[in-house]
Amino acid sequence: MSADLEWTTDMDDHGIKTPILQVDDLAISYETRTGDVPAVRDVSFEIQRGEAHGIVGESGCGKSTVAFGIVNFLGRNGRIVDGHILFQGQDLVGRSQEELRRIRGDRIAMVYQDPMQALNPSMRLGDQMTEVLTVHRDVEQKKAEEKCIQMLERVYMPDPANVMRRYPHQISGGQQQRVVIAMALLNDPALLIMDEPTTALDVTVEAAVLDLIAELQRDFDTAIMYISHNLGVIARVSTKVGVMYAGELVERASVKDVYLKPYHPYTQGLMRCVPRLGMDKTSSYLYPIPGRVPSPKNLPAGCVYEPRCDYAREECRLKKPELREIEADRWARCHFAEEIAQVSWEPPADLVPDLAALEERDEVTETILEITNAKTYYEAPSKQLIGGEAQYVKAVDDVSFGVKKGQTLGIVGESGCGKSTLVKTIIGMEEPTGGEFEFMGVDVSSPVSQRDLALIQELQMVFQNPDSTLNPSFTVGTQIGRPLRRFKTVPGDQVRAEVVRLLEMMRLNESYYNRLPRQLSGGEKQRVGIARAIAGRPELVLCDEPVSALDVSVQAAVLNLLLEIQEEIGTTMIFIAHDLSVVRFFCDVIGVMYLGQFAEIGPAEAIYAPPYHPYTEALLSAVPIPDPSVEQKHIRLSGNVPSALNPPGGCRFHTRCPRRTEMLSDGGTICETEVPPERTAEDGHRIFCHIPLEDLRQMEPVVTTTE
Amino acid sequence: MLVKDYMTRHPLMAEPTMSIVEAQRYMGENDIRHLPVVGDGKRLLGLVTRQSLLVDPGRLGSLDIWEIAGYLSDLTVKDVMVKADAVVTVEQGVTIEEAARIMVGKKIGCLPVLGEGIVVGIITEIDLLAQLMKLMATQEAGVRVTVRQPNRTGELAKMVSAIAAQGWGILACGGAPAPKDPTKWDAVVKIRNAPREEVVAALETVEDQEIVDVREV
Repeated sequence: MSADLEWTTDMDDHGIKTPILQVDDLAISYETRTGDVPAVRDVSFEIQRGEAHGIVGESGCGKSTVAFGIVNFLGRNGRIVDGHILFQGQDLVGRSQEELRRIRGDRIAMVYQDPMQALNPSMRLGDQMTEVLTVHRDVEQKKAEEKCIQMLERVYMPDPANVMRRYPHQISGGQQQRVVIAMALLNDPALLIMDEPTTALDVTVEAAVLDLIAELQRDFDTAIMYISHNLGVIARVSTKVGVMYAGELVERASVKDVYLKPYHPYTQGLMRCVPRLGMDKTSSYLYPIPGRVPSPKNLPAGCVYEPRCDYAREECRLKKPELREIEADRWARCHFAEEIAQVSWEPPADLVPDLAALEERDEVTETILEITNAKTYYEAPSKQLIGGEAQYVKAVDDVSFGVKKGQTLGIVGESGCGKSTLVKTIIGMEEPTGGEFEFMGVDVSSPVSQRDLALIQELQMVFQNPDSTLNPSFTVGTQIGRPLRRFKTVPGDQVRAEVVRLLEMMRLNESYYNRLPRQLSGGEKQRVGIARAIAGRPELVLCDEPVSALDVSVQAAVLNLLLEIQEEIGTTMIFIAHDLSVVRFFCDVIGVMYLGQFAEIGPAEAIYAPPYHPYTEALLSAVPIPDPSVEQKHIRLSGNVPSALNPPGGCRFHTRCPRRTEMLSDGGTICETEVPPERTAEDGHRIFCHIPLEDLRQMEPVVTTTE
Repeated sequence: MLVKDYMTRHPLMAEPTMSIVEAQRYMGENDIRHLPVVGDGKRLLGLVTRQSLLVDPGRLGSLDIWEIAGYLSDLTVKDVMVKADAVVTVEQGVTIEEAARIMVGKKIGCLPVLGEGIVVGIITEIDLLAQLMKLMATQEAGVRVTVRQPNRTGELAKMVSAIAAQGWGILACGGAPAPKDPTKWDAVVKIRNAPREEVVAALETVEDQEIVDVREV
C-alpha cells in the first residue's frame, strides 16, 4: 500500500457506511373518490448515522406524508406507489405488517407536534413509560421504573420520580414534550422522526427542547429526521436540510449553504418573506411569494413552482426539472439554478414599497388609548369544600401604557402571560377588575354589551384563527357587509360596492363576494377577517396573533397588507405575537409581558438592544435565527412560568431570573420581597427591574453579526 | 476509553426468519462481516458471521441438485447462526483493552455490546485497530521515535523531560516490553513541530537509552 493511500484513511470512517435511512424516488398517493391524489412525488434523500436532517416547507407540501410513509402510518387510503425506503439497508416498501414490525421493530421512533395527543390522558405517565419496556422487552416492572426515571433525568425533567405518578394534564406542555422524547428514546432507536416537535411550545421552552435534542443526538448517536416549517429551528438542530414544495423535494444541501446561497427560486422566496430579527418596516420590506401552493390533484405540467416563479420561462412550463447536483452535495430541482443564483433578485415593480412614505408619518403626539393600573382577575373556585376565600388568577395585574394615534403597539410574552386578556379587556370582552381605560377621551371600562354602537365601531379585532372566527355558513360578502350595515358606515345601497372595494384592498377580487369560508385558503380567510375588522373604519384595531396560524409566505403578504391599511386609513393597532422578529418588523412600540405585568416597554429598536430587562434578554436569546453569520448568546430560563393564581412576590420574574444573583450586590434578595422600580431610559423606554439602568446598559447585545 | 465510546451504535441487525440468501446479500451490500440476530426488543438471539454462511459440503454431498436448491432456499438465519449462549458479548462499561483481550483470547472478530440484555452496539477488531491508529496519532504529521530503555521506573520520565525541555509537544506516547529482551522496554513517542535532527540530538543525550527507530510520518 502506498504512503499516500495510508494518509487518506479516515479513522472515523471505518464503520458502517450504509445510511440509516435512504429514501429513493418515493411517491405516495392518497386514494379519494375523485381519483388518486399524488401527495408526494420523486422524493430522495438519505440520513447518515448520527446525522440530523431537516425537512422544511409550508403546510400541505408533503413533509408529514413522507414521515408517515416511513413509519407506515399512511392510513387506509394512503399507499406508496413508487420508490424505496431503505432503513439500515433493508427495504421497507412492499413488506407485510408483520415483516415491517420485525425489521423496524423499535428501531424507529416518532415524536409528534402535539405531545398531548401522543400521551394517554387517562394513564399515569409512569405507567405509560414503563409499558414501553415491559411489553416489548419483558423488563421487570421495578427495573423498568428505574430506567424510566433515569431517562427522565436525562431529558432534564425536574423531580422525575414524582412526575412518574402524575397524569399528562398535570405537567406543562414543555414537560409533556420531554416525556414524549424520553419515551421515544427508551428503546434507543436508530432513527428518530420528529414532526414539528416544538411548534406548539413557547420560544423559551422551544429553545430548551432544541438544545436537548441536539445533545441527545450526540450522546445516543441517533439519526434524526426533523420536520419543521421554521428554517430557524431547523438550523439550530440539523446540519442538512431538504426543502419541500408541493410534494417534491426542490433543494437539498447543508443548512449553511441553503441560507447563504439558495439555488431554488422557492428557497430564495422563503428567505425573502421572513422578517429577520432586527429588520423593521421603515427600512425593509417583506416579499411574499405570489400565488399559492398548487393542489396535488392539479399540478402544473412542467416545474411545480413555475406558476409562482419570477424566473419562469417557456422551458419551465413544458419540462419537469430533475433534482440534480449543482455543486458537491448541493441538489436543486430547477432548470436554471446556476443562472438565478448569480442574478441579484429585483422585486417586481408593483411590490416596491414606498418606504419614504412610512418614514414621514411620525411625530404624532395625540394619545388615543391611555390605560392606567389595569387589572383583570378571574375568580378561581376555592380549594376548600365549604367556605374558604375565593382565589384570583391575576391575568393582568397593574398595567399602564398609552398608545399614540397611528402607531402600532406590539405585545410579546410567553403563553399565559396575559397578552390576550389585556386585549380582550380593552375591547370589552372581559370585565376589568380595576384601573382606568380611556379611549379617545371616553371611559371604556364597561363591557361590550353596554357600550354604544359608535364606540364598538371604533374598536375592532382581528383574531388568531380565521377558521373559527368566520361563520362557515355565510358568504364572504355578507360577513364583511354586516359591520357596514350595523354601523351604517355607508348607505344601504352602497354596501356591496364598499365590500368589493374592501376586498380589492385585500387583494381579493369581486369573485370572492359569494364564496363561503371553506372555499378560501388560510391566508385568504385571514384577509377577510381583516376586511371585516376595518369595514367600520375603526380608530383602533386589536390584532391577536393574526399571522401565527399562517404559512410564512402568506404571513408576509398579510403583514404587508396590514401595513398598507394602516398607511391608508391611519389606524392605530395593538399587535400581539409571539414571534419576536415579526413584532420587531411590524411595531413602533413594544411591550414585553411577564405574568400579567410589563417587564419592559419602549420603542421597538430600544427593546432589541441593551439595556434589556433580563427577561427580554432571555427571550431574544431563545429566538431561532437561521442566519449562520449571526451569533446568539446562550441564555436559557429554568422552569416554567409560575401560576398566575399565586404569582411570586416582589419581582415576578425573580424565580427564573438568570441575572439577579450576578448583577445585584446582595445576590438579588431584594427581588424576592420588593416590587421592582420603574426605570426610565431614553424615549419613554421603561424597564421594571431592580438592577440599575447603568448596569443593564453594560450588557452585551444578545445577537451579534459576525462576518 | 471505554467500549461504549468506540463501539458502533445501532448496528445493522437481522431477524431470525431472514433467509440466508438475503442475509448474505445484506452483509455484502452493506460491507459488514458480522450480523447480530435479534428478536423482539432487540434481545440478542445469535450472531451470523461470514463463516456461518458457508455451506457444509459434507451435508450437500448426499443431496441431488434439486434437493440442494430446496435445502438452501429453506435455510434461515436461525439455522446457521451462532446461538446466543455461545456468543461472547461485553457490557458497555468495559475498557477497550479488555474487549481486545477477550477477542484475542477467544480468537473472535467481534463482540456484540449488551446493555441490560439488549443489543446496544457492536465492537469489532476494526474498531480497535482504528483506535490504535488514533492512539498513535496517525492523522497528524510529526516525528515518530522509538527509544529502547531499561525496564525500570523513571526511564520514561527522563525521556519525556528531555522532550519537554525543548518545548515540544507530544502527540502520542506508548510503550511495550522490547521484543525478546525482558530487561528492556520500548517507548514510542510522536512529537509535533520538531525537526528530526534536533529530536535525535535531544534524545541521544538521555542516559542508558538508545534510539532504535526514527521516522517522519
